[in-house]
Amino acid sequence: MFSIHTTEQLLKAIALASAVLSVLIGVWYIVRRPHLNRLTKSMLLLGLGAFPLIVSLTGNIASFEYTLSRPFCGSCHVMGPYLRDAEDPKSNSLAAMHSRNHKFGENSCYTCHADYQMFGAITTKQNGMKHLFKYITEYANTGPDGEGGPTIHLYKPFKSGACMQCHSATAKKWVETHGDSADAIRSGEMNCIDCHNEVHPLALSRRPATAKGGSK
Amino acid sequence: MKHEMSKKLVLLSVIGTMVAMVFMASSLVYPHPLLLVLAMSIGQGIALFALVLYLLAVALDLQAGGPIYIPPEENPAVETPPAAGGGSPPA
Repeated sequence: MFSIHTTEQLLKAIALASAVLSVLIGVWYIVRRPHLNRLTKSMLLLGLGAFPLIVSLTGNIASFEYTLSRPFCGSCHVMGPYLRDAEDPKSNSLAAMHSRNHKFGENSCYTCHADYQMFGAITTKQNGMKHLFKYITEYANTGPDGEGGPTIHLYKPFKSGACMQCHSATAKKWVETHGDSADAIRSGEMNCIDCHNEVHPLALSRRPATAKGGSK
Repeated sequence: MKHEMSKKLVLLSVIGTMVAMVFMASSLVYPHPLLLVLAMSIGQGIALFALVLYLLAVALDLQAGGPIYIPPEENPAVETPPAAGGGSPPA
């Protein structure tokens, strides 16, 4: 049974209901072919204007919300190993540990990989379009987990700012444990993942058999 | 002439909107990245184009003199005048 628990589901339900109403009005017009009087025009304005507008608005928001989720990131087959590791309750990789964290939850991929700046959401989604293009042109016919395709890599180095959203670089314990490296990490000379590098252990680039694909 | 044109435009607009709605609804039910991107770009483009066509049809209709001409044989509200020499004489 369809149930609504989140805002995304509510928006999706509104969008689907509006789409159905719009189609019903369209079917009514095609079957009945009424004269274009005031009533018909008003009905058509609802069916061709108001309901599609609601579908666009709510559908866009619901879709955007969905694109932040881990199942969406894992829906391209090359992301399979990343998704399996992140969802593995026994894995000790950074991706899995953070995915188990309630604060990250279903959006763990996006939380760490989104650009941390004013227009971060926009630039991240622009990169998402680039992902899609690359997937279609370079990875579509690769093996079950992307074997045979080029090595997957980030477009730019992973910045420590994403980690520091939660892990404060000024906390006493952090300063004590990071000693002389603290300043270098804060300034960006060093990155968190230079040392904490067990992020995605099942990544294609970490599997010797496929590493020959080379990076671009 | 304009009435016929606006009728065709409305029909085209209705079909376009229905295609766009099915496209967009399917992307919500099966949110695969490619389908989602296509639905939210091409789907919305079709819906917008269909709305423009409808508004154009309404404008043409208004320009042609308001409500569309309805032939008397199709319109029960208008009685056809009796033919000359025919019909019953006035009482």
